Amino acid sequence: MLTDLKISFFLATRILKRSSKAGTLLTIFIIALVFTNMIFLSSVIGGSIELMNQQTVDYYISNIIIKPKDDNRYIDNSSGLVAKVNRIPGVYHASARYEMGASLVHKSNEIALPVSVFNPDDERMVTKIHEMMKEGQFLTREDRGQILIGNYVAGNKDQSKDFFESLGGVKTGDSITVNYVNGVSREYRIKGVFQTKSYQTDYMVFVSWNEIEDVLDHPLDQSVEILVKTEPGTREDRVKKTMMSFGIKEDVKTWKEQAGGLFDESIESFQIINNITLLVSLIIAIVVLFIVIMIKTLHNRREIGVLKAIGIDENIIIQSYVVQTLIIGIVGIIIGFCIIQTLVLYFSLYPIEFPDGNVSLYVESGIMIESAILLLIACIIAGYFPAMRIAREDILTAMRG
Amino acid sequence: MDVISVRDLFRVYRLGNIDVHALNGVSIDIGAGEFVGIMGPSGSGKSTLLHQISLLDRPTSGFICIQSLDAGQLSDRQRTKFRLKHFGYVFQDYALVPELTTEENVSLLPMALGKPDEDCHEASVEILGVVGLKERLSHLPRELSGGEQQRVAIARAMVNQPDIIFADEPCANLDSINSKRILELFRQINEENGQTIVMISHEDEDIEYFDRVIRIFDGKNL
Repeated sequence: MLTDLKISFFLATRILKRSSKAGTLLTIFIIALVFTNMIFLSSVIGGSIELMNQQTVDYYISNIIIKPKDDNRYIDNSSGLVAKVNRIPGVYHASARYEMGASLVHKSNEIALPVSVFNPDDERMVTKIHEMMKEGQFLTREDRGQILIGNYVAGNKDQSKDFFESLGGVKTGDSITVNYVNGVSREYRIKGVFQTKSYQTDYMVFVSWNEIEDVLDHPLDQSVEILVKTEPGTREDRVKKTMMSFGIKEDVKTWKEQAGGLFDESIESFQIINNITLLVSLIIAIVVLFIVIMIKTLHNRREIGVLKAIGIDENIIIQSYVVQTLIIGIVGIIIGFCIIQTLVLYFSLYPIEFPDGNVSLYVESGIMIESAILLLIACIIAGYFPAMRIAREDILTAMRG
Repeated sequence: MDVISVRDLFRVYRLGNIDVHALNGVSIDIGAGEFVGIMGPSGSGKSTLLHQISLLDRPTSGFICIQSLDAGQLSDRQRTKFRLKHFGYVFQDYALVPELTTEENVSLLPMALGKPDEDCHEASVEILGVVGLKERLSHLPRELSGGEQQRVAIARAMVNQPDIIFADEPCANLDSINSKRILELFRQINEENGQTIVMISHEDEDIEYFDRVIRIFDGKNL
């Protein structure tokens, strides 16, 4: 067995080294491109998913979210809970949010949208919305009569360019009217417009906690959710366990648990596209290698006949062609890996601009290994069958060429 | 003692709708250490006979006994192993592996027998020295003349010290000087090593090298 493999390897390396270089190099190049193709789309998808995850943490949920237990609408004694959470090891900071139904009006444009409420000082420590100001400024604790709006809410003058219903291109300094569900109507000056490129966040509006207390006309110690930022380097699931061990009775979820269902459909659709591309790439690889090895074996038909005649077992001959395709495959994969790394570097400098944000390539080593294994299996299949066809031929027929 | 015994050997090929009777009941015996020439006109069945007794092809009917072994009982795999261990081949058109150097072409066979690399190298260098190609070890077949390539083929046939060497018109593509050198080489191998050699030839002047000639005509031995 070892002797057979040794001879197969011996024949394969010599044939590869001394036969047509152009043909071999072209095949290696094709395999490198196939491997790149197999990885590229999945890494774009990986980058998109990574972007969605990052946006979820930075602008939407933070690391951990606390929601009211069961069917309750609000978390009571919200300030007490925030103070308690802030004392838990592994927690960097917590920020409570409240929400109130409203309609926003600017000139003839009116949209129904809940107004989110936060303490701007807490929010700065929990999300990164304040870093994404398109224009104007972020809210402060003392702000009253001012509102912060997302880019999709602001919209465009030409509303055909808008994804959602908007206020028709309002800018910082413009006034809008907010009609709350409790019947209170307020005139707000737009303090700033933020643009995170996360479609959920950019379709939100915020006012300060002080402002909503004026609207409600009483102090507010309730919240609909509490966002929790964990210390860098800590694991959210461990911090969640600690929080629960500290006796927090509300519904505590990590961002992954909370967002799990949020992107499932998108990820599933991405995976279907990716699997189709993967399958097509593999078929291309098999067909190319099959043709190359078929031409090679037909060209070497006489040589195969002679090898059999002088006593070389046909399995050794078949193996030698499989080894050749494996070598071509391995070299192609290595070159493909280098191409991928170059692309990763390029797209980290010049990310792909999608409406939801700038996407860099995110290459998962698992997918890379899986693709390499699939491609090597394709090489074995593509090397085996054409070689078997000729090697099983009767000696004299093969020797006639 | 006979190393090859053939009885009532028939080989019929089907060419379209026509049956071609290449061998029509050949019966021969070849003794150990004999240098036998198989001669006859073109199309007489010389090569077909050689292919049968060298186990490259199977007869339509008849009996072939090689070293007391019924060749008909061997599977394809066993025949391949048998050829590797007991036979050496020299073909008309050299039949070297074009991607292997002189030394690699020769050492491939001891390698296939599972001999260590060092032994394979030593054996091939030694045998290439015998055929006068010690200086051409790293040359590829395309870098050698026809005579040199045929000597490499002879070295390859000899390297495993087979019991029988089969040569199918080894001098057909060579000039008279190279033909003479090759025939003398075969004679030398036969005399020094006592190996049985079965060679096809259609040149009458080659007869002087053979111990015996088997003449084939219309698929029968005369």
